[in-house]
Amino acid sequence: MVTKQDVSVVNRILTYIHRFEDGLLALLLLSMIVLASTQIFIRNLFDSGIVWADPLLRVMVLWLGLMGALAASRENKHITIDVLNRVMTEKVRHFAHIFTALFTAIVTAIIAYHSTLFVLIEREANSVAFSNIPAWMLVTIIPITFAIMSVRNLIHIYQHSIALKEFNTKA
Amino acid sequence: MIFVVLLLIIALLGAPLYAVLAAGAMLGFHNEDIDLAVMAIEIYRLAETPVLLAIPLFTFAGYILGESKAPYRLVNLTNTLMGWLPGGLAIVALMTCALFTAFTGASGVTIVALGALLYPALKVAGYGERFSLGLITSSGSLGLLFAPSLPLILYGIMLQQLGLTLDIGIDDLFLAGILPGLLMVFLLSSYSMIQKRQPAVATEKPSNGDTLKVIRESIWELPLPFVVLGGIYGGFFTVSEAAAVTALYVLLIEVVILREIPLKKLPEIMRSSMVMVGGILIILGVSLALTNYMIDTQVPSQLFESIRTHIDSKWTFLILLNLFLLALGMMLDIFSALIIIVPIIVPVAINYGIHPVHLGIVFLANMQLGYFTPPVGMNLFIASYRFERPVMELYRATIPFFFILLIAVLIITYIPELSLFLVD
Repeated sequence: MVTKQDVSVVNRILTYIHRFEDGLLALLLLSMIVLASTQIFIRNLFDSGIVWADPLLRVMVLWLGLMGALAASRENKHITIDVLNRVMTEKVRHFAHIFTALFTAIVTAIIAYHSTLFVLIEREANSVAFSNIPAWMLVTIIPITFAIMSVRNLIHIYQHSIALKEFNTKA
Repeated sequence: MIFVVLLLIIALLGAPLYAVLAAGAMLGFHNEDIDLAVMAIEIYRLAETPVLLAIPLFTFAGYILGESKAPYRLVNLTNTLMGWLPGGLAIVALMTCALFTAFTGASGVTIVALGALLYPALKVAGYGERFSLGLITSSGSLGLLFAPSLPLILYGIMLQQLGLTLDIGIDDLFLAGILPGLLMVFLLSSYSMIQKRQPAVATEKPSNGDTLKVIRESIWELPLPFVVLGGIYGGFFTVSEAAAVTALYVLLIEVVILREIPLKKLPEIMRSSMVMVGGILIILGVSLALTNYMIDTQVPSQLFESIRTHIDSKWTFLILLNLFLLALGMMLDIFSALIIIVPIIVPVAINYGIHPVHLGIVFLANMQLGYFTPPVGMNLFIASYRFERPVMELYRATIPFFFILLIAVLIITYIPELSLFLVD
């Protein structure tokens, strides 16, 4: 039996997770701005540069992109074709959401699974990305974000089922 | 084939596009007996494309500008400088929208941020309600062709992914967009000048003191376009470095010097801008996989063969392309459209002897029109929401603007020199 207290604990944990994600996102963005600007500054003034800055910046784009996508899946803000959604009735829209969230959960889970295998292969291979940083560590962001996105879509299914139930009892 | 139809239905039901594209790519790879670890490899290519850095940084800079009082100062400045001309305020609206969209990407921000200032101003100046609404709604995507607009950058990135023999940089696209973009502004300005105003308020030329005052107000933002474009063409930095300079500069002036954005608000702006960036980049990531699959299985060349049996003239192809892109622009947002369609259409267009730079400008010009093409153009709904008017009213209001820009799109399509003249 799920009590009200359990729900508030879950909500609090979710809030902490969201805050951590937002913090990481902000940190990534700020360090990107600072690092890229420093690099231009050093190059134009002293004609030199930080060796690891460019590869690091490129990896940060990947991380930032995936973290942003993760934040988008939290609020269901991914890019969609919403032509049909505009003309659906509320009930049909809930059904559509449940179905598309299930589809997305499966797709992201498959990607998470196969990219985990890829990370393990990379780890075995022991390849180095740059400046002694092992490549597998940088790739790890892919299975992590896709796995969480999959879970988030399961949560969306749950939320829309409840909304649908409430809608039915109202009607 | 049945899977393609199925995926299309799922997409229309409102599934995130990235999931639909990823499913398509994985089905394809699975049929070819390719290990699905390839998905991770393709997504990791996001970390191997240096210019991509420009996307988060320019987006963030645009969001900061949109949240600050920069739109207000921009309107004030252009109004003082040009408001006294016949049709002045309408032209001011066009110019500010174009400049603002170039820096923020046409995500509807222009209508929301500038519309609130320009709409009442236009009505005070005596312009009719319908004209004012139409002007602002259709200007919401004006400026897509001007540097450093995100869609221009993204088109350049997509070209680089294709590995063409032609060496085309994003700076070439920035140059190519100038004349076609000016043509659009010119045509719309001419239309605004012949509008009758009720009452026709006599506007005076501002005194030198007024001019000086508004210039001083905008003194921090004024150098921005010059720094960005001058820096790129002066060889001081690349496009992605220009993005870093812009982001840092905008952050410093709006948050530290002018203090229009409280520090407390910064995390929220960062998050919402990165949600947009994440939405674009994840589609790009999974599409890289799908594109590779389609190129391996020679989809573009098969497509070209089958089109060629029906169409042999470059010009017929272009007119069909216009129709296709216009329809596409109504269905898909500009970023997904670029990511999904460019890899297929560019090889076909090259076979018809169309220059990729020209194609890019045609592509974006059509997309710009798609933003307010009834019945589903996105900006029509944003304007309807922002100004609390029924969408039907906006359909009517934008019709003359639609046809004027349609003429511009046709000119851009059939006179390639307009796009290619400044590019060598």
